[in-house]
Amino acid sequence: MEKSVNAIMPGLCARVVVAEGDQVSKGQEVAVINCMKTEIQVNSEYDGVVTKVISKEWDEMQVGDPMVMLEVEE
Amino acid sequence: MIQKLLIANRGEIVPRIIRSCRELGIATVAVFSEADRGAPFTAEADEAVLIGPANPVESYLNMEAIVAAAIESGAQAIHPGYGFLSERGAFAKQVADAGLIWVGPPPEVLAAISSKCYTRRLAVEVGAEVTPGTLEPVNTPEEVAAFGNEHGWPIFLKLDKGGGGKGIEMVESAEMAAEVLQRAQSIGEMAFGSPECYIETVVQNPRHIEVQFLADGEGNVVCLGERECSVQRRHQKIIEEALSPVVTPEDRVKLFANTQAIVKKMGYVGAGTLEGLRSTDGDYYFMEVNARLQVEHPVSEFLSGVDIVRQQLLIASGESLAMSQDDVELKGHAIEARVYAEDPETFFPSPGTIERVVFPETGEHLRVDHAIADGCVVPPYYDPMLAKVIAWDEERSGAIVRLVQGLKDFQIEGVKTTIPVDLKILEHPQFASGEVDTSFIETYLG
Repeated sequence: MEKSVNAIMPGLCARVVVAEGDQVSKGQEVAVINCMKTEIQVNSEYDGVVTKVISKEWDEMQVGDPMVMLEVEE
Repeated sequence: MIQKLLIANRGEIVPRIIRSCRELGIATVAVFSEADRGAPFTAEADEAVLIGPANPVESYLNMEAIVAAAIESGAQAIHPGYGFLSERGAFAKQVADAGLIWVGPPPEVLAAISSKCYTRRLAVEVGAEVTPGTLEPVNTPEEVAAFGNEHGWPIFLKLDKGGGGKGIEMVESAEMAAEVLQRAQSIGEMAFGSPECYIETVVQNPRHIEVQFLADGEGNVVCLGERECSVQRRHQKIIEEALSPVVTPEDRVKLFANTQAIVKKMGYVGAGTLEGLRSTDGDYYFMEVNARLQVEHPVSEFLSGVDIVRQQLLIASGESLAMSQDDVELKGHAIEARVYAEDPETFFPSPGTIERVVFPETGEHLRVDHAIADGCVVPPYYDPMLAKVIAWDEERSGAIVRLVQGLKDFQIEGVKTTIPVDLKILEHPQFASGEVDTSFIETYLG
């Protein structure tokens, strides 16, 4: 099943720290958002494999915007 | 005299600069990003020009777009405010090369003083004390280890071209030297384009003391008093006051003399600040130059009656200072609280829309510098500072009372603000005693 890891704060994408094919576990940091000059960690809510990295540095983020797609086992 | 000025910044500093421009008959041009379209600060200027998208790299840090906006709007000068491009020598040069006046120190001075080691050496040459450490960059873990083994651990590794508290790393032992040096160097390379690091020893429980100065092109330097900015969170100032409760008149004479000597040696022209530390033993150490108008400049304006932005504009227009140090009278006590759009418990950012704002009554004892209004958006892309509230009175205790009242009367709805933190600090008996250092928030409000 495909799931996304979404922005939890608005701001600018500072970086995505995972790549396509990476195995990630629940609670692991996958991206960082710069909100008002503070770096906010975005963690995965699932165990899964990264199928697509959507966000890149300097992208404008709103809350809920998907940043990384995961294939998650049901 | 400058006829028309472009302000290369956003937020509260824009109306602040415009106020001085109006008094001098200077027309103003604001610039804004897509995210700041319709922001209150844009309406204050005579003209406003869109310079790019929300991303500051493509707007407020976009040198070409800003210079082009100045030329197209017929501005003769650029005031950079603080932050963004304000201390970027390359930008100052680009402005000058375009035939425009740069409201700030000369580009070559900016370029030279961007090196902390260079300014530390200048300070030592004029006989001022600097935070103990190296005057040249250190390049190998062996040098770091040797310094720590000789002078004691821990030590700070700082970036020669760093700023804003970024890339300051503590090294606890010789074993950590290689790892920490590599980390600091890579942060330096990425954030400031230079991996160079130098060493400072750790000053325990320091107080942050800085001196505001004005320098003209003829070698005249006057000091507008010191400011104490010891109350900080995450290396960011939150409360600033002048004069410092701990600086004695004798210390002040020495601080001003050192400041004048360092500033002259640098060839600095314009307004600026020398930042320093005071140790618990009462020693003063020069730390670095802030080559710009500072956020907390209103504190010194209240104290001295001198309009610092007006002086910047006069100096940039080629005028010499119309005052000497003896003319500067430092009266009473001024204190400033910064209001950030942050959760007051966690300091987590709080962007959003300000639904309603009620300002305290301002006058000769209270000043509010801001660029907010009912219904305005606080974008998530920039600094979280919303406003500054500054109070003045004959005595420190009276200034604190006025500031507390001002903050209680300041109502901002729609985003969280640090007003509750400001009040906790100002109403704390330890703050009232004047015995504060940079660990105040962790120690007393942690």
